[in-house]
Amino acid sequence: MAFFKKKEHINPLMAMFVGVTILIVGLIFAKTYAASYFLSGAYVLLIGFGYYKSCIRILPAFIILSAIFFLAFYYGKNSLIAGVTMVNRLGAIFVGLIPGMNIEPICMTRSLNQLKVPRAITLGMLITISFMPLLREEIARIREAMKTRGAGNILNPKVFYRAFIIPFVIRLVNISDTLALSIETRGFSIESNNATTYKKETINVVDVTLLLLVIVGVVLLAVFK
Amino acid sequence: MRAVELNNISFKYNEKAIIFKDASFFVDYGEVVLVSGHSGEGKSTLMSIISGIIPNVNYGEISGDVLIQGENIKDKKLNYVCRKVGIVLQNADSQIINKYVEDEIVFACENIAMPQDKMQKQINIVCNLLKLNPKDKTRSLSGGQKQKLITASTLAMGQKILILDEPLANLDKDGAKKLMDVLKSLAKSGYAIIIVEHRLDVVMPYVDRVYHVGNKNIELIDDKEKYLLSQIKKVEVNTNIVDTKELIFRLDNVGCKIKEKEILKNISFDIQKGSRVVLLGENGVGKTTLIRIISRLQKATEGKVSQYIDEKFDKKLYSKRQWFKKVGIVYQNPDYQLFMPTVRKEIAFGVKDNKEIDDILEMFNLKEFENTHPQSLSEGQKRRLTIAAVAGYKPDVLVLDEPTVGQDYKVLQEMVAILNRLHETTKNTMITITHDARCAKALCDRAIILKKNGEVFVGGPEDVDRYFGN
Repeated sequence: MAFFKKKEHINPLMAMFVGVTILIVGLIFAKTYAASYFLSGAYVLLIGFGYYKSCIRILPAFIILSAIFFLAFYYGKNSLIAGVTMVNRLGAIFVGLIPGMNIEPICMTRSLNQLKVPRAITLGMLITISFMPLLREEIARIREAMKTRGAGNILNPKVFYRAFIIPFVIRLVNISDTLALSIETRGFSIESNNATTYKKETINVVDVTLLLLVIVGVVLLAVFK
Repeated sequence: MRAVELNNISFKYNEKAIIFKDASFFVDYGEVVLVSGHSGEGKSTLMSIISGIIPNVNYGEISGDVLIQGENIKDKKLNYVCRKVGIVLQNADSQIINKYVEDEIVFACENIAMPQDKMQKQINIVCNLLKLNPKDKTRSLSGGQKQKLITASTLAMGQKILILDEPLANLDKDGAKKLMDVLKSLAKSGYAIIIVEHRLDVVMPYVDRVYHVGNKNIELIDDKEKYLLSQIKKVEVNTNIVDTKELIFRLDNVGCKIKEKEILKNISFDIQKGSRVVLLGENGVGKTTLIRIISRLQKATEGKVSQYIDEKFDKKLYSKRQWFKKVGIVYQNPDYQLFMPTVRKEIAFGVKDNKEIDDILEMFNLKEFENTHPQSLSEGQKRRLTIAAVAGYKPDVLVLDEPTVGQDYKVLQEMVAILNRLHETTKNTMITITHDARCAKALCDRAIILKKNGEVFVGGPEDVDRYFGN
């Protein structure tokens, strides 16, 4: 049965829902000590459900920012709960982001396609997300090219601006022109919404278990706050 | 029924830019047709007309009949035409939107609502044809592999008419030959293939018919052998070969790993001062990485590169600005290196003396464009300008990454002549990466051939011929 079949990742929409739930609930109950237990529990839960890499990745930034805000609010307001509230708020943001960090753009696009969300929106989303690494690469290449022309000195803003902005804009225009033409010639049309999906995103027992456990956590938090 | 038929086509972008006047053209199923001609004469416009890009995306005034599979496509939407005609555009890098090869391939299939089971079959077929791994990450592919991926994505849609705009631009000789084999086999199985390509030496054996675009016309070439031979003539080698013992670079067991992926391993060779070195090798063998390491844009993870330009560059703290004045780097894409408002100012950025600027403008045949905006120049002119701007610093070493890619024969000849003139005047050391058999020998005193197994072969100009199989 498909519901019990093993799959590689949590359903993107389910992951998004779980992330948003943790974020909102964490922020609402941030002023309670119980929220700390809820967020810690959610963190452990996410590790167990395969998000361990992202959990480890966010940890250093969370620890540093938490320490700074905790000390600032603890000593600023002379109150332990003020410090804990700030840590909880940061925790809600960081833990809430974890499921979203692991969603492959194409999986999200396909999930939304299955829900008959217009392809213009889903494709726009996919391209926007895919554009980020490309943009990073372009900026790195332009910075490098500036050095080769002797225009990499930030202390000379007039030259720096020209040598960065002009190639950057030209590249962006060229890339977006080519990309737009390429997707149109590969069959995309804003007027048509009858695209098919290569890999269907399904909901299975693991997705439902994760959602139920998060809901149990929310209920416990509401009861023991 | 013909695959493509253009009858008495006239097209103009505006009154000043008339591209075709009463031109006709046809392609039958089962044949590979080459569209040749100088840059800017209308090859891309022709491809855009056949594929419906004109008038749907690019505008202009068109008259005459464009028949695809016997049907007039006047007033037909691009979305309709692209189901009949597949077009593979240039600049593959800018067209990839998915993280994995298989997702990129099925992107087009999803758009045209292909059933799921057929998509899987199409992935298997095109990956097998073009030797792609469907599970590979797209960002880890080399330039040539990305070009293959975009070709695969179009092929998977299953149209019987295929247009390829410079498909060989980033492919090495073996990659180019393999792609042409695939296209020829598709033609034999009933496809109509139209290719726009400047590397006629590679395309020639596979082509059934040739059209020349120019003078507002599309002319069918009767004697294709004569035409092709006139276009693939190698650039004459008329520079004295430099053979000196004085070194400018020495590479000792240089290696480079990026995220555990080994790009280069145990590379050792010397580069003589004042010599012209051509770096050859297949796609993905690490040529670009190697010149990036030599020119200090990237660090080697193993081994050492010794430089003999100036001892001051051996110190831990040295001026990068001074280094790049001594080692000039010219990128494959000129858009990265041009940023001033006029051609003259672009050169003046590195050269203060007016007479020197004039000399450089003369040498690079750019005098008539001195007040033109660099971005409004043609691709070949932009490349010349980039080299001129970098050469303005009088660098001891000039590093060139594919200086002739996508250029027609006339522009290529001009480029090679300028580079050799510059070399003779300044006595610089010139390191060039190229896949272009027409000019490699003309830019070469020493050939360095990188092989996939990490082996390096160092030879002379005669080895360039051997490498390209001439």
